Amino acid sequence: MKKLYSIFKQGIIFDNPLLMLMIGLCSAIAVTTNVSNGIGMGLAMTFVLLFSEIIISLFRKLIPSMIRIPIFIIVIAAFTTIVDLVMKAYFPDLSKSMGVFIPLIVVNCIIMGRVEAFASKQDLLSVIADALGMGLGYTWVLVGLAAIRELLGNGTFAGIQVMPASYEPILFFILPPGGFFVFSLFISLNIWLKKKMEAAARRKELVSKKEAA
Amino acid sequence: MDLGKILLLSMLVNNIVVMRFIALCSYIGMTSDLGQSMGMGYAVTFVTVLATAATWPIYHYILLPLDLAFLQILVFILVIASLVQLVEFYLKKNIPGLYAAMGIYLPLITTNCAICAVTFENITNNYNFIQSIVYAIGVSLGYLLAMILLAGIRDRMKTSPVPKFLQGTPILFMATSLIGIAFMGFAGLIK
Amino acid sequence: MKKTKLGVILMLYASIACASLAIVYAFTKDSIERQSEIQLQTSLKEIFPQASTFELVEDLTSPEPNIKFEAVYEVKSDAVPLGLAIKASGPSYGGNATLLVGIDLHRSIAGVRIVALNDTPGLGMNASNPTYYVDKVKKVTFLGQFEGKYIADPFEVKKDVEAITAATITSKSLAKIIKTAGDAAIAYMDQKVMMASMEVEKPNGETSIVAPPTASTGFPIGSSEGKSKEKIPPQAGGK
Repeated sequence: MKKLYSIFKQGIIFDNPLLMLMIGLCSAIAVTTNVSNGIGMGLAMTFVLLFSEIIISLFRKLIPSMIRIPIFIIVIAAFTTIVDLVMKAYFPDLSKSMGVFIPLIVVNCIIMGRVEAFASKQDLLSVIADALGMGLGYTWVLVGLAAIRELLGNGTFAGIQVMPASYEPILFFILPPGGFFVFSLFISLNIWLKKKMEAAARRKELVSKKEAA
Repeated sequence: MDLGKILLLSMLVNNIVVMRFIALCSYIGMTSDLGQSMGMGYAVTFVTVLATAATWPIYHYILLPLDLAFLQILVFILVIASLVQLVEFYLKKNIPGLYAAMGIYLPLITTNCAICAVTFENITNNYNFIQSIVYAIGVSLGYLLAMILLAGIRDRMKTSPVPKFLQGTPILFMATSLIGIAFMGFAGLIK
Repeated sequence: MKKTKLGVILMLYASIACASLAIVYAFTKDSIERQSEIQLQTSLKEIFPQASTFELVEDLTSPEPNIKFEAVYEVKSDAVPLGLAIKASGPSYGGNATLLVGIDLHRSIAGVRIVALNDTPGLGMNASNPTYYVDKVKKVTFLGQFEGKYIADPFEVKKDVEAITAATITSKSLAKIIKTAGDAAIAYMDQKVMMASMEVEKPNGETSIVAPPTASTGFPIGSSEGKSKEKIPPQAGGK
């Protein structure tokens, strides 16, 4: 159980796919102009990641190594299509506002990367923990980015007016350069967090070593 | 929409990297070296145009008439992946000079968001075949332009005093943000 | 031998994937098609709240080469015509945009709704954002500003039409689609001599829609004690 929890924790800050591993960036910044899109994309990506990892982990003994990449692609594309169809059928407004970024989940480096590096080699429970951790890491960054961009750039949060009526929205944050700007600060924040956590862990180790001696 | 407008819009006004956030992985990863950036840019242009030429007819003459449009994602990505493999084999065997220039980037291109995005958008924007090819060229040239710009900036940054909290990747995104603001000026080109 | 085995395995995976997708597609297909139908009906009802039927009109086509009229409806409230609704599509910033333009018999715009728009989120897409106001004081959205606007009036963006901030191209494209639909509609209305009906107050306080006055009756039927709420518009030609 502890092992599962540590796998899960990994993807949230230490190995955050967007901020530390720098993968899956494409869909991330683009959809963060408002919080609803951010949550939608986070959930869609987590869904495809989770089920792709599950299927590939279950079938990992039955996937010949030579053709593994095409098979991974087939599985990921199938789940991406399922998400696309379900969104078009039951969440048409969200589907329209996310546009081409839903099909782009299929080339999301995160999914291909995790599937190749992890799911094809690990057992079912581990990959579920990994997918959920990575998915959560991805989603919190998306929601955080979207919250700042929407709040400062539009005065709203998920469509609900939050800022007072006299607030003049700073258009910069909704525009693409603003996205890069906020994202850059997020990375900086995450690096700082990681350093703090590593320092704390090292201090703990030193203390326990001293006590053992 | 007339072809010149499509070209300008896709290359400058709507630059795929700095204005639309697509293909960022390779953008951050490969721009540490100008030669690498250019090789990647050429490879992307080559594959994108080929992929468009392949996927557009498949969608319009096979998937659509047979009511199989829901297989678009699966079919397109498999076509692109296979295309990249074929191109790599062909170049290695027949045009070794070209392979030396850009062949090594080909495997990286399979998951390049830009190519995928272009093939999908040709369909959603309802472009005809010629418009699609022009769009593909415009987007890829825009990608090449963005790569060269950032590679140049990174070269300069090696000798600049970057503030501590921005060292590493954050400063690259700041730079991209500024490039983006500059590119927004191009919007005035289109009436 | 090994290569064929690999090939077969690949085919197997691909077939399973396609089969599963076909199943999901079969499940969601009706819902997806119904979504566009539901959206169209909802939009039509929003533009013409008193309407009861929408009849397809076949003989109205777009005069502009790159703006298409995908569907034209004659809007009626129990056999009394209220206006036209045109589902028009034309080029915008990010591909085609499709709008539903309602034109009432006063030769003004009853309302505009977005059917499909593919522009930049936060910029051009604000045309479909219900909380994005071009006039923040009066809380008027980009499409809302067209309601009640006479089609014969000038439609120049940034002069007569408020643009969306940093999305001039989208604003101009959408205004062009609306104007084209409007012009074609009033030409059609003039051709078929469609005149506005009147909203009349019945003795019991209810309002009802009655047919416009004709030469023989002079005054609307059934309104001897009624007060007309709207003036009878002038003959063809708008304002």
